[in-house]
Amino acid sequence: MIICKDLCKSYKHGLKSKRVLDNVNFTVEPGDRIALLGRNGAGKSTLIKLIGGVEMPTSGKVIRNMTLSWPLGFAGGFQGSLTGYDNARFIARIYQRKYSDIRAFIEEFTELGNQLKMPVKTYSSGMRARLAFGLSLAIEFDCYLIDEVIMVGDQNFNRKCHHELLERRQSRSMILASHSTELIQQVCNRAILVHNGQATEYDDVNQAVHDYSNL
Amino acid sequence: MSKFSLARLRDGWGTQTRVIHALMIRELITRFGRENIGFLWIMVEPLLFAGIVATLWRVSKGPEEHGISVIAFVISGYIPITLFRHGISRSQAVFTANGSLLYHRQIKIIDFLLSRFIIEFLGSSMAYIFIASILIVFDTFPIPSDIGLFMSGFLLYSIFSFSVCLVIAPLSEISETVEKFVPVTTYIMIPFSGLFYMLSWVHPTLREYMLFSPFINGMEMMRKGLWGDQITAYYNPWNPIIFSMIFAVFGLALCRHVRRTLTIE
Repeated sequence: MIICKDLCKSYKHGLKSKRVLDNVNFTVEPGDRIALLGRNGAGKSTLIKLIGGVEMPTSGKVIRNMTLSWPLGFAGGFQGSLTGYDNARFIARIYQRKYSDIRAFIEEFTELGNQLKMPVKTYSSGMRARLAFGLSLAIEFDCYLIDEVIMVGDQNFNRKCHHELLERRQSRSMILASHSTELIQQVCNRAILVHNGQATEYDDVNQAVHDYSNL
Repeated sequence: MSKFSLARLRDGWGTQTRVIHALMIRELITRFGRENIGFLWIMVEPLLFAGIVATLWRVSKGPEEHGISVIAFVISGYIPITLFRHGISRSQAVFTANGSLLYHRQIKIIDFLLSRFIIEFLGSSMAYIFIASILIVFDTFPIPSDIGLFMSGFLLYSIFSFSVCLVIAPLSEISETVEKFVPVTTYIMIPFSGLFYMLSWVHPTLREYMLFSPFINGMEMMRKGLWGDQITAYYNPWNPIIFSMIFAVFGLALCRHVRRTLTIE
């Protein structure tokens, strides 16, 4: 279970302060697939960073009772000047996994071939997404935090993600920030709509998508 | 209950050593690459610095001053100060530079500082051992008369340097002005670091004030450990210990404060 309790986040710039999230409360149960909806700049990514522990809330807290992936997105989690393999080795070390297993998995999953020997900064965003997904699927988490990134892949990648994440790991939880209402309706069983710093929970995804479209 | 928390402490210790190990390898690869001598580059810079300055002094001042070898004296001063200066310059803006690694929750910002400082520490130690071994063969460096005292001095000097890094790192995130003052400050403090002199060479009144500097206390310990009865040294090991504790408490509190407001892309 992951519990967000009275989460608030403000960003300060000089003397100005902006409250991005105001008193957000919700619980993620095992097996939940939660869609995060909201317009650009509404605070979806901020919320994902708070849940993932990348940034700290201004007040409130996040209680994590299951293993939770790092936020999968375009930025973060990688060192650009290191190669794909070096990054895999780093991840294997800090998550205490066997490098040979992770290496085998990402070679198979990402299909990046020799590109894995190149620095990550030379990768396209699609290739980064492949690597990020490959690494986090190689480690196995109870809950995956996914920020937009699922949409950048090509068809082959989408199919793989679908297979690995939605079919093979059906019992896992997921928090998915996305603008693709089609994907969300297909995948998620609950939704959270972030608007003006407030988060509204929906048990009916279609209703959430409807409200989101009317913003 | 106590057993429970002991197990947690052990887990935490395990995670942190793993993370620091991984960070150090990562840092070594990004900084030095895998070509030619690779990570051995970490000792090249202190070696060059100490070596060249020592040669200059040797040429301008002659082989001995106050009865001890000029080359050995300069090297014993320069290697610790390079450690301090590199440690400081490496800890500036280290949190934002490594921000993307904070995506992994087990990595804490202190780990960035620790891994970088340990690398600098190992580099300086290796450089020191390397150059001293060679010079001992040529009889220009003393065989340490009290290696324990020498190592305690080096350790205290290093710990104090690290505690200063703990303060500088978060300050450089809070205000960019700090970054602009650091090079000048580390330069100005060279004369107060005990680099060029022993306390027994200065006026007794001045000596009393100089003994407030943790660097000088550490440096005197190291030199006493090297030359033993050939020199007179003045030091109090509690000075660097107490100063380190004060800086560390202050620095850790600042780090905690900065982590709460750190914005990561």
